[in-house]
Parts: sequence; structure tokens; C-alpha cells
Amino acid sequence: MRQPFLVIVTLLILGSCTAEKKSQPYLRWVGDIPSNNAIDDPDFELCLEENWVKQYFHFDQGGLQYAGEKPAMDAYFQSNYQPVNSTESGWIRIRFIVNCKGETGRFRMIASDTNYEPFVFNQGITDQLMELTRKMDGWAILPNTEKPRDYYQYLVFKIESGQISEILP
Amino acid sequence: MRLFHLFISLALTSALTAQPNCEAFKYLGDEKRYKACKAAEKRAGHYQFSKEYQMALDEALEIDSTFAFAYRAKSTAYLKSGDFITWKKLIDKAVLYDPTGNLFYRASCRYQFFRDYAGTIADIELLDSLVDYDIGHSQNGDYHLHILRALSYKALGQKEKAIQIIRTQLQDSQHFPGVYDYLHLGVLFLETGAIESAIEALKKQADFNDLAENRFYLALAYKQQGNTTTYQEHLQFAREQYLAGFHMHDPYVSKMDEIFLSKILEEIQLSQKE
Repeated sequence: MRQPFLVIVTLLILGSCTAEKKSQPYLRWVGDIPSNNAIDDPDFELCLEENWVKQYFHFDQGGLQYAGEKPAMDAYFQSNYQPVNSTESGWIRIRFIVNCKGETGRFRMIASDTNYEPFVFNQGITDQLMELTRKMDGWAILPNTEKPRDYYQYLVFKIESGQISEILP
Repeated sequence: MRLFHLFISLALTSALTAQPNCEAFKYLGDEKRYKACKAAEKRAGHYQFSKEYQMALDEALEIDSTFAFAYRAKSTAYLKSGDFITWKKLIDKAVLYDPTGNLFYRASCRYQFFRDYAGTIADIELLDSLVDYDIGHSQNGDYHLHILRALSYKALGQKEKAIQIIRTQLQDSQHFPGVYDYLHLGVLFLETGAIESAIEALKKQADFNDLAENRFYLALAYKQQGNTTTYQEHLQFAREQYLAGFHMHDPYVSKMDEIFLSKILEEIQLSQKE
């Protein structure tokens, strides 16, 4: 009697866990970054509610909005990134939020090899890219009207043998 | 130009993300696909990044795990958020279950969002080998896939091959020139030292779709010929076109051969020293 009861209880618990997993696999939007006190700058604040953070391409201007446009961004990394002696190639994305004052925070990184499989790059590459991205200070306040918003921005670095070959978007 | 581009993009986007006609699956007796299709319809009215949108498609895939449309529809938000890992897993499934319907999309996105030139070429050449009809255009409508293949070869350093592919495509009587075809051809000629051919192609671009970019590269061509007056004139045209909003534009990423105002102004400064 006791064994079937335990089996049923176990199945119910597993079932409820599975159901919960299925019903809550997503945040508000794909790519949302919840704040994490352990790693995020405590001084970085959103100007509006979490649910109001937009994407960089939601504004009329469209595309990358950075002081000096893309050439300035490319030049920044070209001048400051020290190529690492490595055979590693793939992509590295750093995603973050630009708030209504043009300040940045909540930086997160993902990386893959050239087959789009998750990959851990030489720390000399990833640490540099993260540090340089954190230091960028030309992000546009969007939209350029009376009520600017917080928005998600990302940078994708195409890495070929330890060097940056392209920066997107 | 921007409005035209927006119109084309919206038209194509809506066509690409359009819900399949579920009744067609029912008519064909595919009950499982019909149910999956109806489940996917629940995403209507939700933003493609939202959990509601994603969960409707998950439900569809629980019913029919081979429903390629649902994988591609799910992939788009990951693509636009720069998550190449999740995007690739999803779009690979779409290609697996419907290669001829999705290779164009995977190829275009590899090029546009990740500059994966070798992957773009591989996908386009595979698609070309699978069908006996015109392989069509990129997902945003900017390029015929053969032009995209040429640009990928260019990025890999094979400029002569790129020129040859674009020329062949432009000679095809069925090909309607894309919004940037002659611009890219002109830049390729310029980069390979064929200045007269560059001027000819860039002038064609001006006749077809006059942008800051073709004016800028025309200026550089005339600069190489030592024609200072025309060089300076075209730089001014380039500046005017840019400020009037007539330049390459993509709301998501920068484009090959795109020119920015800072570069035009920098070249104008240089030209004044000539």
C-alpha cells in the first residue's frame, strides 16, 4: 500500500515541477536581463519600469546610435583592443542596457565557436572586450525627444584567430 | 529611400512571418499539423520577443515537432537580440524540416547579422543545388541571393569572383536590379583598380537609386583619376544625399559599403587640401 502511494506522490511532484518549468521558461521578452546584485554596478539604475525597457531598433532613428557613428566605435576598438595570440575564432556578444541618461549597465556575455556552439574564449579576449564595452560612453539617449527611454543594446564581435574582424550591429 | 526600404522590409517581413493557412493542412488530411498550426495562431497580437509569442509556438511544437514554420518564427527574436547560439539551434531545425523553404532565410541572416560569409555561401549553394527555379531574395528584400553570395565572396577576399557573379546576375533578363546592386559592383571595381568600370556602375546606381554612398565612391573614383573638381562635387552631393536621408539603411545592423556622415565630412576636409 505504501509503495504505490509514494510512487503517486513522486509523480505528482515531478508533474508539478515540469508544469511549472513549462509555464515559466521566459522572461517578459527574449534577451531581457534581470538585475543581479552580485555582478551589476549598484549605481546603475533604470529611469522607468523594467517592463518599459525597449530594444535599440525600436526608435525612429533605427540602427546603431553612437557618437561618431559606427566608424567611431570601430576606431575605438581598433585603438584599444590588444590582439591576443590565439587560434580561437567565433562570435562574442555583449548585451547591456542603456538608460535614459545614456549610462550603461547589466552587461552579459555569450560566446560561440564558428559552428555557433557555446565556447569559452581565452580570458585575455573576453576580459578586454567586456572592459572596453563597459567604458564606452557615446551611447545615444533615445528617443531624442522630451521623454527618453531605457533600451537594450548589444555588440557582437566576430573573432578570427584572437583578433576582432568585425563588430556588429 | 528610407520609406521605400521600410515598405519593402515591412511587406517582406509580414509575408515571411505570415501565419500559414491552417485549413490547408486540414484539407490535406494532416490533422497533427493542423492542430499545431492552430496553436501557433495564439501568438497573434503578441510581440515576437514576448513570452506569449514564444509559448504559443512552443505549444505548436509540442503537437508537431517537425513544424518548420514554428522554429523559424521562434528564432527571429533571438536573432534580433544577437543570441546567435539559440538562433542557430532554432533555424537549423527549420532548415532540417523544410530546407528549400528556409535556407534563404538562414543564409540571409548569417550574412546580415553575423557576417558569417562562408556559412552564407554554403547555404545559398546548397539551396541552388536543391531547386530548379530562381532561388530568390534575402529575407529583407535587399539582395538577390546570388548577389549576397557575391558579397560574401568579396568579404572572403575573392573580389574577381564577386564581380563575375554580380555581372552574370545583372545580365539575367529575369533579374530586376536590387536597391544596391550597382553600388556594390562599382565599389568592387574601384577596389580592384578598374576605375572606368567603377564610374559606369556607380552612375547606373545614381540613375536607379541615388544614394550618398554611390556619390561618395564616385568622388573617390574621380579622385583617383586626378579630377579634383568632380571629386569635390560628388563629395558635396554625397553630403547632401546623406542629410536628406538618402543613404543605405538597415534598422538592425550596418551594411557592407555603407558610408557615414563622419566619413564624408572627413573626405571633404581632405579634398579641400587638394
